[in-house]
Amino acid sequence: MRERLLLTGNHAAAYGAMLSRAEVISAYPITPQTMIVELLSELTASGRLDAEFITVESEHSAMAACVGASAAGARAYTATSGQGLALMHEMLHWAVGARLPIVLTNVSRAMAPGWSIWSDQSDILSQRDVGWMMVFAETVQEAQDFVLWMYRVSEQVYLPGMVGMDAFILSHTAEPLIVHDQEAADAYLPPFEPIYDLDPAEPRAYGGLVNRDHYFELRYKIYESMERAGSLLREAGEEFGEVLGRRYTPLEGYLLDDAEYVVVSAGAMTSNVRQAVRDLRDRGVKVGLLRVIAFRPFPITEVRSLLGGRRKVAVLDRNMSPGHSGIFAEEVRSALFGQPDAPPVYGYVVGIGGRDVRVETVVDVVDDLTVREEPEMALYVGVKGLPIGPLRRDSQITRLQPLEVQP
Amino acid sequence: MSLEHVDDYPEIPVSLASTRTMLKTGAWRSVRPVLTERTAPCTTGCPAGLGVPAYLDDITAGRLDRAFLSLTARNPFPRITGRVCPHLCEDGCNLPIRTGDAAVSIRSIERWLGDQTADVAHPQPNPPTGKHVAVVGSGPAGLSAAYYLRRSGHEVTVYERRAEAGGVLRYGIPDYRLPAPIVASEVARLRNMGIDIRTGVALGADVTLADLEATHAAVFIATGAWQERPLEIDGAELLESGLAFLESVNQGEARVPGPHCAVIGAGNTAMDVARVLRRLGADVTVLYRRTAAEMPAIREEYEEALGDGVTFEWLTNPTAIDKNPAGLTVTVETMRLGEPDESGRRRPIPTGETRDVRFDGVFAATGETADLSPFPPFMQTRAGNLDVRPDGATRDPLVFVGGDLATGPATVIDAIVAGRRAARAIDHQLGFDARWPMDELSEPVAAAETNPTYITRRARTDSPPVATVDPFDEETRTLTTGEVLGEIERCMSCGHCNACRTCFVFCPDGAITWDEGPVIDHEFCKGCGICVVECPGHAMILINEREVSHA
Repeated sequence: MRERLLLTGNHAAAYGAMLSRAEVISAYPITPQTMIVELLSELTASGRLDAEFITVESEHSAMAACVGASAAGARAYTATSGQGLALMHEMLHWAVGARLPIVLTNVSRAMAPGWSIWSDQSDILSQRDVGWMMVFAETVQEAQDFVLWMYRVSEQVYLPGMVGMDAFILSHTAEPLIVHDQEAADAYLPPFEPIYDLDPAEPRAYGGLVNRDHYFELRYKIYESMERAGSLLREAGEEFGEVLGRRYTPLEGYLLDDAEYVVVSAGAMTSNVRQAVRDLRDRGVKVGLLRVIAFRPFPITEVRSLLGGRRKVAVLDRNMSPGHSGIFAEEVRSALFGQPDAPPVYGYVVGIGGRDVRVETVVDVVDDLTVREEPEMALYVGVKGLPIGPLRRDSQITRLQPLEVQP
Repeated sequence: MSLEHVDDYPEIPVSLASTRTMLKTGAWRSVRPVLTERTAPCTTGCPAGLGVPAYLDDITAGRLDRAFLSLTARNPFPRITGRVCPHLCEDGCNLPIRTGDAAVSIRSIERWLGDQTADVAHPQPNPPTGKHVAVVGSGPAGLSAAYYLRRSGHEVTVYERRAEAGGVLRYGIPDYRLPAPIVASEVARLRNMGIDIRTGVALGADVTLADLEATHAAVFIATGAWQERPLEIDGAELLESGLAFLESVNQGEARVPGPHCAVIGAGNTAMDVARVLRRLGADVTVLYRRTAAEMPAIREEYEEALGDGVTFEWLTNPTAIDKNPAGLTVTVETMRLGEPDESGRRRPIPTGETRDVRFDGVFAATGETADLSPFPPFMQTRAGNLDVRPDGATRDPLVFVGGDLATGPATVIDAIVAGRRAARAIDHQLGFDARWPMDELSEPVAAAETNPTYITRRARTDSPPVATVDPFDEETRTLTTGEVLGEIERCMSCGHCNACRTCFVFCPDGAITWDEGPVIDHEFCKGCGICVVECPGHAMILINEREVSHA
């Protein structure tokens, strides 16, 4: 039976795993994710969810357990955050190479040190090149629904999927949540059929040594599957609308039609961007919002068509790749490069380590965007004592001390 | 499979063939697991050295003929020992040490096997040797010797003084423990092997040792210990012999002196006498000069006597018996325990306190001795015992002895072993191979080596008591097949591979394949030793590769 409840993002993620009928859950607690697996352990213990809950001593083992379970044909789920995701890194690769459609919810938090549990996209984006599909939730509803959406596509392309959601802003904030009817969820997500059965009667090596004459081809198939996942994400998002009443797309536009300026954003801070866009429209600024939902595979063609011909594009990054720029900005810039109607892309780094990204912050960014003449790789918003602007140039920072050469 | 095009590839890096064919990782190994047959502690506990785990395995696999053969290679009478053996095998069981669970009920399983194979004919004897061996006495030692001598190919004649064969099995052990028809059917099965059993022929009276020696290549004598040890107290002539009483009861001539009876002594015969009297309706008091801790009876028989309602008077030594108008008056002296004597048991010491107790009849069962009158003096020691070597040989090269005659009262299985040992010695003496196994057993599998994690843990199932109308009907029943199979599941099968598949399941590399039992692929096995650790009965061991290559 369909229910409408007031729940946090974390509990919504747990409901997502339950509606997906996850069969094996293995996780290690870490703030701000712990509530997800707490609720799942309760749901499992009470019998409401028919799953094996495997407790482990680390996130590396949690993913290893999911790898084993998935290889054996079980639908496996885990959740983690920040340092935990980093510790899982090796096994994240394994899930990809072994083609295991595991789904993971990552509650994004800043990386230590300094020790921080607050919202920041650096942890999940550090896993960009591993080969997991990645989607970013904005709402409690999406924190639940994206788990189903990921399984639906993962199990078609045999690649794992990650749902990113923001620490506290989403994980610990309660919003109305529609918990779908289980039968409807079942209709959307049929049982998992593993790519190969593990058969003790015919032992085989899985994930063993592959020499130079074969590795490339196996990887090529992964690249191809990830490409295929792009169109499947769209189809599965449409299906979600048909079966469960909510349609999802890799990208979402807001007031884009006539927008001269576009703000690109991902995750929970997008809600404030939406409000800022409304406020700025009231002031007569022709601004719109492009929300990136699917980050891997990256919707390159749609980004090109939705941003082509605009006057300026601002990309908000709650993350930073030191020595380059915010990672979303990098991705958008790269998608637009060489397009005849490519607009200039201005990267704005905001809200690092959980600092608030308020409606006013976004308004400040758009005000800066409209007047700034040259696009910058990264413009830092809200660093104490500094205006919005690029990193200080050489003349403004301390120089290397010359070596004292002994005679 | 050719991998010329990317579309030829599998989706994941999986070996296209079974890994064993590709990776010869056995070269990494420094130790190798080897399946072995080791001695189980139940086997070393058994006087006959029966390979218990092996025949349990045969039972589970449905190979009853093979189980019967392996059992009868060491003990021809599982139907009998399955009922009356003190099951020392169970005392050795690793299960209680390892888990605290009760030992596997081996005797009950043996009984079931005996009953299941009651109609199986014994194997054909070897080709005739042309030798004729006489066996005197048809108790367990005589019948066992006859069996093995016959299987060796000798002509065998058994001489029995009583009307029916079986000795103590027929005339000593009460029917509720060992029904006479079972003994009769075992005797019949021996006759079917071609063993000539002549009853009503007494050594000394009807035939002499010299007669037998003149007409046979060898003589085996096992006439038992049937003489009541005389009790040297006043009025001893008023005592009835416990053994004679049992004999008369087993012939259907029970005569109970009255409602109140006493039995003097606390050995196995005393227990049988007391229990038979109870079953015939008498109140029975056992008078014993020491306590329960020193009593020679097997614990189980003592407990069964308690269960039958026999009363025990400890530290009670009869010193005189007298007639009174209504029956007998026994004067008993209260004893106390002193220092241990040469038997290791605490010695009873008189206290001087006496009292009189009245009974209708008093039975003596304080020990039995053998009748040595048929043996010439040169065969006896100065102390008046027969001079016997461990294999039964005597000072007369044609004569071998065994059983209670040689050892004094012992168990049925001891007598069976003595018969087999003598048959082997006689074979040897007559110029044939010593055919019957008497091998030294190696060190048994230790409890610490076993792994009870994967065996079925459940309560022990023993042959259960049954309600009977006639008190001399068998007091327990044979387990059902289901009960036996369930009981066997409890066994860790120490030192014997019973194809439980634990190694197959746990080998992390799939280096073990299955062909009725584990087959270790040494091309592939890396020698991790997990199979050896997981094997419940430690029937696998790790040996150093260097030992193999230098072997």
